[in-house]
Formats: sequence, structure tokens, C-alpha cells
Amino acid sequence: MRDGHVNVFCKVMAVLTMLFLVAPLVVIVFASFTPTEVVVFPPQGFSTRWYANVFSPSTHFMNGLWKSLQVGFVATLVDIVLGVTASLCVTRYDFKGKGALLAYFTSPLYVPSVTLAFVLLQVFSQIGGFSGFARVLIGHAVLILPYIVRNCVSVLHSFDWSLEDAAASLGASPVQVLTKVTLPLIRPGVVAGAVLAFLYSFDEVALTSLLSTPRFVTLPIRLMNYMELTFDPTLAAVSTLLILGALAIIVAMDKTIGLDMFLK
Amino acid sequence: MGRKRDAILLALPAGIALAVCFLAPMVWILVRTLAEDGLTDFVGFMTDPFYLDILWTTVRVSLVTTALALLIGYPVAYYMARTSSGFRKVMIVVILFPFLVSAVVRSYGWMVILGTNGLLNQFLQAVGLTSAPVKFMNTEGAVILGMLHLLIPYMILALVAVLQGIDKNVELAAYSLGANPLQNFLNVTLPLSLPGILNGCVLVFTLSMTSYVTPKLLGGSKFRMMATMVVQEVNVNFDINAAAAISYILLVAILLVQVVVTLATNGRMRRLGGGRDA
Repeated sequence: MRDGHVNVFCKVMAVLTMLFLVAPLVVIVFASFTPTEVVVFPPQGFSTRWYANVFSPSTHFMNGLWKSLQVGFVATLVDIVLGVTASLCVTRYDFKGKGALLAYFTSPLYVPSVTLAFVLLQVFSQIGGFSGFARVLIGHAVLILPYIVRNCVSVLHSFDWSLEDAAASLGASPVQVLTKVTLPLIRPGVVAGAVLAFLYSFDEVALTSLLSTPRFVTLPIRLMNYMELTFDPTLAAVSTLLILGALAIIVAMDKTIGLDMFLK
Repeated sequence: MGRKRDAILLALPAGIALAVCFLAPMVWILVRTLAEDGLTDFVGFMTDPFYLDILWTTVRVSLVTTALALLIGYPVAYYMARTSSGFRKVMIVVILFPFLVSAVVRSYGWMVILGTNGLLNQFLQAVGLTSAPVKFMNTEGAVILGMLHLLIPYMILALVAVLQGIDKNVELAAYSLGANPLQNFLNVTLPLSLPGILNGCVLVFTLSMTSYVTPKLLGGSKFRMMATMVVQEVNVNFDINAAAAISYILLVAILLVQVVVTLATNGRMRRLGGGRDA
């Protein structure tokens, strides 16, 4: 009965769209195992030589991965501190201009990343002395802060503030209330937001392509540079590994916080 | 009084960080651009057919992408909101999964399929539909296809959020009062899902307007959109003034969309802004 009214047309569209979404990913995985330089169908055999290429220092992919992880982790950690404090400010207290303050904390959301990149590039060239890591890190930290703030705020909106009062009345100091009651309770939501923010940083291209330096190249930028010179299945091998990583994260999120939170 | 001090202390870290790393640079570079050349760079952009063509290409690609994403995404979202089968779980995973995969990787997948020696051309030649390879890559069609692949999930998620909140009994009531499926859709479901449609369209449109990866990889060097042009002006043409003009005009265009929608809906929009690189 529940499915009785679901239109056949909608079902066909759903199946076709799912195939459309998965097709390029399946093609990539398949391409990563072809022995030939050009991906052909049917495949002329099976080879893992492109995977060896990924880990060879000459392709710099591992170096790029390391740089991406560095930026992603530091930006996310810094933004968790900034984001949690900012979110507590606009949810725990009631004051005039609260909405405006929240809008300010999430304002980078409304600025195209390429615009932010250009502006920061100009600033860095005026001031000077910033390493490639610092340039990319500052850009990413600004870009992903709104995601952390949004997630924290939505968790804190459903937070029971009387728990803090209870802890305080039992003699806990304000710092103890924060570290022993509030933070542990909102941790799942904060972690979910942080994972998404980290992934955003990890995949960021538009801003990074302007701010990275020849000595500091993140993995997605390295992939794009490699593509311009060599179009061989090494790219497919790297991509397959990244797809596997995404799959692992999906499974982990499904097991811990559930995937339905994305549908709200 | 202590509470007020606590609130200020909590606002300070993010407040100062954003002021120094975001707000001040945005204002400073704008003021500097205006102080150096006045409005000439902006007027130059708005009167040069070359740049106007880039602006128009960006708007056109974004409009087509948004319209197609809505047309394709709506039935899918409707099915997802109404079905309770195990397929729903599969759909959630398939929709979220590409979400977590870099736009570079996904564009690369399309390059393998659409290239001159790509799988599609191999197939077309094998079955004899064409003797010479068809040019799929570096076309506007390829860019729109790649963009749809990235952005349809955003549209579906925005629509599902609203569609699954519509009481099924409302539709059943319309049926019992004699409405046919088309009337039911036009008079009941569609109006009730308008907020989701608006959310999804604004999201997809702004993400298309600012997209960089897809036009660069699937459009090639001669296909220019606003974001790719900023990078090209900086890295290839070394024309900082032009890059500044394009950057701020793109910003104004995005803000304009947000303001218009916010005013039109009395600020009821839930999901303004946001989304990853396209």
C-alpha cells in the first residue's frame, strides 16, 4: 500500500539517476586495472602497475596526500576551537544582535572561494613572509569555519541547558561544566561537522590553485597538474584509492551517526 | 554581568580570526582596487564583449544546470521520500557517496568516458554509429553533464528534506475528492514542495556560478567561466586588475541571488549558501 502510489516513472528516473551517479566511479575503478596506457574496453588484461606508480616518489602523489592531510587536520582542529566557542556564544546567551553575529560567523559561505583566494593572494603579496602551508591553511580555515559553526549551532539548539545549571548547582566550576558536561554531550554533532569540513578542505581546488606554491602542492592540485601533462591510468589508481577512502567514511558515518541526518 | 563577559569572551576567537583573515582582506583589496583605478576595471569588464560573453556563459550554464537538476532530481526525490523499501538505503548511499569524492576525481571519470579515445567513442565506433571520433570533451555539453553529476545530489537532498515532510494523507484526500494524478501533483504536491525547490535551485545555481574544477577539466582552456577566468588572469595573463573586477563582480552576483531570494521568501530560507567546490 505504501509503495502502491509511487509512480513507475519516478522509480525509473531514480534507477537511471543512480546509474548516472555511479557510472564514472565504476569506470575509474575499472580503468585503474587496465594494463594499457589508453583505457580500452574490453580490457587487454589485468595490471596493478599504475598503483605502483602512485606510490613512486617521482609522481609526488604521496607528497601531495601528506600536504592535504596536514592542511585538513590543522584547519579542522583550529576551526573546532573557533567554531565551538562561537556557537556557544550565539546559543547559550540571549542578546541583541545574536542573529547578526551568527551571520557574521557563517559569512564566508556567501563568498565564492575563488574571490576569497584572489583577495588573500593580494594580501599575501603585500605583506609577504607566508609559507605555502600558511597561505593555504588560512584560506581553508576561513572556508570551512561556517560548516563547523552551522553543525555546532544545530546541535546546541536542541541542547538541554538545564544540565549545565544542574552541574553548576552541584558545585562544578564554569570550566568543569564546559569540559565535563556540555562538550561531551555535543561531541557527536561536532565530530560529524568536523568530518565534513575536513573533507571539504581535503578536496578543495579553486582556492588552493591560487594560494598554493610550487613547493606546497596538495593532492587535488597535484592530480590536476599531472592530468595536464600525462593522461595515463595512474590517475585512475589514485582516484580509486580516494573513492575507497570515501566509501570507508560513508560506512563509518552510517555505523556511528547514521546517514539520515543528511536528509533533514 | 558575568554572563555578558562570558558571551563576549566566547565570541572573540572566531570574531577576531574572521576579522583579520576574511573581513579586513575583503574590504582592503576592494578599497585598494577602487582607490587605484576607480571604477575603470569594473566598467571595463561590463563594456568588453569578451568579458560579457564569459559572464553570459556562466549564467547560461548555471541556468541550464539548475533547470535540468530540478527536472531530473524532482521525481527521484519524490520516489525517495515516498518509498520505504531497501532501495531507499541504497539511494542514500549512492547520493551521498559521490558527495565525498573530489570533483577532480569525478571529472576525471567523465574524461575517460568522453575523451577522443574515450569509452563512449570506442563504443560508437565499434557498433558503427560513427567512423571518426565525436568531439564530446571541451564542449559546453560536457561541462553541463559534469556539473549535473556534481550538483544533482544537492538538489535531491534539498527536495527530499521537504517532500518527506508532506503528509501523505493530503495527497490521498485530493485523490478521494476526485483529483487525477496530474491535478494532484500540480495543485497539491508541487505547491507544498516549493520551499525545497527554491532551496535546491538557489544552491545548485550559486554552486554552478562559482564552479571552477568542472569547467576547467571538461571545458578545456578555451571554455571560460567566471571562476576559471580569475585564475587565468592571475596565473596566465598576470592581469591583477581584471582578476579583481571579475572576483568582486562574481561576489556581487552571488550576493544578489541570496538577497533576492531572502526578500522574496521573507527570510524563510533554511539552506542558503554552502556546498563544496563544483
